[in-house]
Amino acid sequence: MLLDIKELNVGYGDIQVLWDINLQVKEGQVVALVGANGAGKSTLLKTISGLLKPYNGSIIFQGEDITSMPSKEIVAKGIIQVPEGRRLFPGMTVEENLMMGAFRRKESKNIKPELAKVYKIFPRLKERRQQKTGSLSGGEQQMCAFARGLMGNPKLIIIDEMSLGLAPLIVDDLIDNVKEINRQGTSVLLVEQDVQLALDNSHYGYVLSTGKVQMQGNSLELLRNQEIKEIYLGL
Amino acid sequence: MLLQILVNGILMGGLYALMAIGMSLIWGVMNIINIAHGSFIMLGAFTTYWLFAILGMDPFVSLAFSIALLFALGYGVQRYLINYVIRASAFITLILAFGIEIFINNAALVSWTADIRKVQVAYGAANFSLGNYVTIPTIRVVAFLLVIVISIAFFYILNRTNLGRSIRATSQDLDAARLVGVDVAKTYAITFGLGVGAAGAAGTLWSILFPISPIMGGELTLKSFVVVIIGGLGSMLGPIIGGLALGITEAFGTNWFGSTYGNLISFTILVLVLIIRPKGILGGAD
Repeated sequence: MLLDIKELNVGYGDIQVLWDINLQVKEGQVVALVGANGAGKSTLLKTISGLLKPYNGSIIFQGEDITSMPSKEIVAKGIIQVPEGRRLFPGMTVEENLMMGAFRRKESKNIKPELAKVYKIFPRLKERRQQKTGSLSGGEQQMCAFARGLMGNPKLIIIDEMSLGLAPLIVDDLIDNVKEINRQGTSVLLVEQDVQLALDNSHYGYVLSTGKVQMQGNSLELLRNQEIKEIYLGL
Repeated sequence: MLLQILVNGILMGGLYALMAIGMSLIWGVMNIINIAHGSFIMLGAFTTYWLFAILGMDPFVSLAFSIALLFALGYGVQRYLINYVIRASAFITLILAFGIEIFINNAALVSWTADIRKVQVAYGAANFSLGNYVTIPTIRVVAFLLVIVISIAFFYILNRTNLGRSIRATSQDLDAARLVGVDVAKTYAITFGLGVGAAGAAGTLWSILFPISPIMGGELTLKSFVVVIIGGLGSMLGPIIGGLALGITEAFGTNWFGSTYGNLISFTILVLVLIIRPKGILGGAD
């Protein structure tokens, strides 16, 4: 088991947002975490990355308890988040953003080969490497955020709302990139409001609703589930 | 005559720029308006004064000690004091900085008395002439060149090193910086150290050019504040443009209206900038 979340309760002050969350990501899997706006997805991600401390429960990564670790150590362990809304550093060039992605790596003195690898996946970024990220299109910004995540050499990459605000063709390209990264051995937690997209492209899925895991199962089975069809897919 | 005033203004502006670089950095990265900035400049000045008075150390040598000492002090103050309220509103950090200012000023008053002192170096009066019209004190030119060197060092650190990138990342998007693994507490402490270290450098140069006293800090904080506002936050060039603008207008203003109006002129510029270009001359650029 790569990531094992057990009985996690999280909130802001007195207001509890997540209730008894259990979630697992196996090595080599793409796992989808879906749910409507306000279901608690972002809160869960913040907790995994160490930006928020849970009330109780535990987060185990590769057999090690990382529940109360500071985010810099969690990043160094190989859990990298591609945050919702891209959150690029707007005053920096594409390449500087990518270098920031490798910030925590011990071998960060020599990141040239990593840069070359990432540019091979995203040739567009290479063309624009000296541009400030504010001048990129939405799709390019998402690529840059994705590439910045890869620069950290993740074992588990968490991609939050990748498809938000992007044209379907661009989303298709990005999904191909996700699958390619997964084929090369990186596990993926795909967090999406677009339920169809996420379940179509994952092995296993969790449905989060009002702070609880309402359903889970193989993605294909979830897609066929009558309740999901009615509530999330409008079929 | 006009040329002489202009040269004086530029040389003074360089020192203003150095005073403001540290304040601008701390403000831009951490959103702290460091009211104690002038007091740190005062400590830099006295570091140089005592090294000169006791050990006879040349001010241009003690510059290095002043920067190092103030960097360490700034690092400690942020890490073990300000860090506890960094998540609170800007108002709270403002009050804390105000408290630090009162503490430093009074500790200095008690230790060193309110006497006005001067670093009397042998070469203090040396000067040279350009043509028949302009006379330039050598020491001011050397100080100005040092300002340029220190500014370039700042540019280099911020733009070309991992440390600088982590500082900029933290100021541009705090959560994103944490998500790539930046140690924000450490970055803040180093940033505060760099800002206060620059204040130390400004203090050393100030002590060579002007008399110093433990209560000099308040006015220097105000001057630095005006320079930061004129130049605009978020850009390393801001304080330099702002410093030169203030230095030159002050030089012409005091020449025309008399030196009693120096502060009136500074604050008139401040008010004008706030009305016409509230984000400063370079505000919003980066």
